[in-house]
Amino acid sequence: MKIAGLAALTGMSVLSLLASAVPAFAEADCKAVVAPSPFGPDDQTGATNRVTAAVTKAAAAEIQTGVVTPMAYPLVDGIPLFGSRFSKTILSSFATMPGAEFGKNKLSYMEDTYLSQSHVGTHIDGLGHIGIQDCYYNQTPMGKYVTQNNLKRLGIENLKSFATRGVIIDAVKVFQAANKLKANPACKRPCLDAGTMITQADLEAGLKMYNVTLREGDAVFINTGWGDLFEQYPAQNTAYNGGEPGITAAAAQWLASQKVILVGSDTWAVEVIPGEDKDIAFPVHKTLLTDNGIHIIENVRTQLIADAAANSKRATFFLSMTVPKAVGLTGTFINIEAIQ
Amino acid sequence: MGSRPRLNRRQFLAGLAAFGFGPARAETRRFRIALADFDETPGVTLEGLGFTGAQLRRSFELAARSLPVEMIYFDNAGDPTRAIGNAEAAIAAGIDLLIEYCADREANAEIAHRLSTAGIPALALVYPLPGAPVYGPDNRAAGRIAGQALGKFAVENWSGEQVVGVVIGDIAGPNPAINERVQGITDGVHEALPTLQLASLDTGGQAVRADALLTKFLQTQRGQRLLIATLDDLAAVYAKNAIEMNRRQSDCIIVSQGLDQNIHGGASEKKEIDPNNRGSVVLGSVAYYMDRYGYEILPLAMRLLAGEKLPEHTVTQHLLVTASNVFREYPPFDMN
Repeated sequence: MKIAGLAALTGMSVLSLLASAVPAFAEADCKAVVAPSPFGPDDQTGATNRVTAAVTKAAAAEIQTGVVTPMAYPLVDGIPLFGSRFSKTILSSFATMPGAEFGKNKLSYMEDTYLSQSHVGTHIDGLGHIGIQDCYYNQTPMGKYVTQNNLKRLGIENLKSFATRGVIIDAVKVFQAANKLKANPACKRPCLDAGTMITQADLEAGLKMYNVTLREGDAVFINTGWGDLFEQYPAQNTAYNGGEPGITAAAAQWLASQKVILVGSDTWAVEVIPGEDKDIAFPVHKTLLTDNGIHIIENVRTQLIADAAANSKRATFFLSMTVPKAVGLTGTFINIEAIQ
Repeated sequence: MGSRPRLNRRQFLAGLAAFGFGPARAETRRFRIALADFDETPGVTLEGLGFTGAQLRRSFELAARSLPVEMIYFDNAGDPTRAIGNAEAAIAAGIDLLIEYCADREANAEIAHRLSTAGIPALALVYPLPGAPVYGPDNRAAGRIAGQALGKFAVENWSGEQVVGVVIGDIAGPNPAINERVQGITDGVHEALPTLQLASLDTGGQAVRADALLTKFLQTQRGQRLLIATLDDLAAVYAKNAIEMNRRQSDCIIVSQGLDQNIHGGASEKKEIDPNNRGSVVLGSVAYYMDRYGYEILPLAMRLLAGEKLPEHTVTQHLLVTASNVFREYPPFDMN
């Protein structure tokens, strides 16, 4: 009874959210507000087009010791979520009660129902996530392709492989080396404070620290230390959500020019919040996702691989990350591992 | 033709940098600017609205990130003597410009004198500082915007019905801005409803009292439509509660002053006005943007340092923010 009640309640929430998630699009001239895709006018894949067999083969050379470093946070009640976002599991099917077992061997089983929004925990932003008015990646007028349930274009089922080289840039060390680290007192480890702008020069300094040159098809992760607050959930959820250090719009442009496939960070938006311009919302999202088809990975557990890089003096790794072929979704939670 | 104003060394160098002349040293010159904030004591709010001194200071910290400035911050703590001391400390710190936010006329005169002696220009926030350009709200205009919105709502939705107007807030408070806002609200309402009388419910500076005061008022106004102008957003929230508890949502509408976080919400906070909640009795709030002053004022400071003469008074561009434009003015973080 309780479960049914909860399910009904949550179902109502889902319906309400679905209804509110379908925006009243204002039509815009998409060719005027979104850059054309470098992968052709019909492309729905974006930057993972760059992960060719040659790129994957070259990335495989990063596996030298076989050490695997986790880069995703546990997805569990209490982690920072925004506004009305939720992520709930319900043990929805089971046969553990006496008499409910199967066969003479008394097989029992359990299953879950996942009632969750997709942009929670460590997750990928797909190409259908961010636009300007109704204009999304590849100048797509999304108003024509939105249904009550999902997208008819730009869903994450269109993505290709992420089997490529990963690069960790430790912005904390960059700021420490430059003697400009302004930490947040709630961080137990050194972290960049909310509102700290990470520039192209900072990224280049971080790459130089480990003698890395970006190459086409790389996956770039930035350690800001802000994830320390995520790890203190729920105590620091408000602080974590209240802002963040991150890259500037110009730094995003530079990363796009390096032809990377994704940019991830231990923050909830990758970009500096509050932003540089009070009147412009999430410019990095627009630059990377909408204009360049480059994915954003949020709430990445970067500290461990940053520590590993500091110890081994090697900031590159083979990226182990897959995205389910969930049709028409704008994003999904994922698991990431760095293999060195 | 008047004579060109004489520039001191600081202004001359700034002018070179501003116009792209001179060596790299001039282009990379960083200015040292001090902000003497009104009062950063927790719980103290500014100008009868919901903004805090800490929010105002933060807006300068954020705006300064992209400018060639080094900021120094002082907290006047609402104390004129301390404000003078802070100005002296700022002068001793070798600042290029002081941004002063102090309500005391005598203290401001003394601060202006000391700055003048030191040859340091100033910008004043809200209250005049002799010889300095002032940036601040246009309280009467902001009030008028709210009054106009209420009047328009009544004409469009309650034509021919009995309509009552009421102003709720710290009406007898000492800040002259309050009177200006009330006058503006009255003027604005009267544009559409010239004979409407506005009742006053004085919270005495305790917004929570708006709930009980309005509850009592509602019970005396059965069968009437109510136009409610609240003088701050927290009062609007309490007034909304009174309306909902008395089940009068269908015949009340609120327009507030401020547009602070009580109304637009921050990250993961409840939003009283929201594109997905267009049926709220809180129609909107007139924005004062005090949590963004830094973004408006530091560019003015840079212009002043470049030798430009600023208007004596620059006012905030107030705007009625409703469910239809709130996310443009204050984009929510929930969308990442």
